[in-house]
Amino acid sequence: MKEFVLDEPLTEEFLTFLKSFGTVKLYPHLKRPYFSFEQEHFISIKGFVGDTNVEVRNRKEFLDLTGDYFHLLLFYHREGEHGTRKMQEIGESIRGKMKIRFPAPGN
Amino acid sequence: MAEHTGAGDPPLIYLNNAATSWPKPADVLAEVTWCLKTPFFEQGRSTAGGTTDYPSATRESLAGFFNADRPDHFIFTQSATDSLNLLIHGFVKNQKTPFHAITTELEHNSVLRPLHTLEGEGRLTLSTLPFDDGRITLQEIKKAIRSDTRLVIMTHGSNVLGSLQNIRPVSEYCASNDIFLIVDGAQTVGQIPINLSEIPDCAFVFTGHKGLFGLPGIGGFYLQDPEAIAPIRQGGTGTDSRALAHPKDMPQKFEAGTPNYPGIASLLAGIRYIERQGQDAITSKCRGLTALIIRELNKDPNITLYTPAPDLPVVSFNIRGLDNDEAGYILAKAYNIITRTGLHCAPLVHDRIDGGKGCIRMSCSYLNTPEECRQAVDAVREVADSADR
Repeated sequence: MKEFVLDEPLTEEFLTFLKSFGTVKLYPHLKRPYFSFEQEHFISIKGFVGDTNVEVRNRKEFLDLTGDYFHLLLFYHREGEHGTRKMQEIGESIRGKMKIRFPAPGN
Repeated sequence: MAEHTGAGDPPLIYLNNAATSWPKPADVLAEVTWCLKTPFFEQGRSTAGGTTDYPSATRESLAGFFNADRPDHFIFTQSATDSLNLLIHGFVKNQKTPFHAITTELEHNSVLRPLHTLEGEGRLTLSTLPFDDGRITLQEIKKAIRSDTRLVIMTHGSNVLGSLQNIRPVSEYCASNDIFLIVDGAQTVGQIPINLSEIPDCAFVFTGHKGLFGLPGIGGFYLQDPEAIAPIRQGGTGTDSRALAHPKDMPQKFEAGTPNYPGIASLLAGIRYIERQGQDAITSKCRGLTALIIRELNKDPNITLYTPAPDLPVVSFNIRGLDNDEAGYILAKAYNIITRTGLHCAPLVHDRIDGGKGCIRMSCSYLNTPEECRQAVDAVREVADSADR
């Protein structure tokens, strides 16, 4: 688990971007609007919309593959459709390496 | 973007004392500082004079605190987990295996994992007794007894449910049936008065960093019958150094290597602090704070409480619509309230109470205030009400 302090506060727009890759939960009525993001086997993120602090967790067994994933999400979310496509390609590539490492039963 | 390497802002309200007590009394910090400033001294290990022999002084203090008649039968370890490993593996080493052991669903992994390991190695067979209303009765234990039962291991107080176990009849039954009893007192020491003279022929495990206000890294056990356990560590004791065989005298039989002097000093200061405040006063205040938290949480239909009337200062609950992990994060980051979430290293308890998902645990100490507890329950209720919208 790592905590990051971002240069800019997290926005709802970023959460919309994240929805393309996993499950976003948003609790807007809390004192501070809390969100979490989970992309299975890749990453989980917790934080508050409008805050610069986030908690990021990666699965230990895939840390070498997903260690930079949060940075890539931050980078590509500014690039609209292109950024989404790029992250999907990156995700596919990582998923392929994960399958080689831990093949599904019967494969 | 910078990586946040620190632990964040200082916690405003710390309610995770069942894990590790914080803050420590000023006297404990002062004693540890003094211990580190002066040359370490222990008979046989240093010629430094005029300073405190912390191991000996603390054993005496522990004997008085627990009303035990043999100070040298207190063994220092690094934690309750360390104590339990030494006792469990040391007991097994002394036995013809396999034999039958009994434990309970209330146990911490410090008990369950060593037993599971030994069961996997074919060294013992294990019965794990279910609890009813947070308790294990002597009747349940008697039902599980077999002709080859040699060991019973049970907690004195649950770290999730805060339920106190009536150890005395269990210890009397075990003593009269040639069954060794190990009692895990990690959650009860410093929280309630404990009189070891009333619990015959058992090993009683304690840790220093919870209710005794010591540092993490110091724990121990009291062993009435040293013959029941084989030592599994050998090494330097500062005594009888010419002999290659490890000494059999107590406490050296179970202690090898340089002790944790600052940890032992913190334990001594923690016990003195409790004695000055009075154990009854501490117990009473913590029960009052716990009752306050429970009373308020009970008013909220979005909160599921698992500890309606705990004996120990432990309040376990979940908030409807929020994972316990997320609730703990929100309380910590948005309200500066520190709790413990998840399984609390006691998976079998959670299997019974929350389907194995875990929960949020608030645990106060003598150093918390009613105002802190009120603020904490207000925050929990605010989160619960907002999360359910």
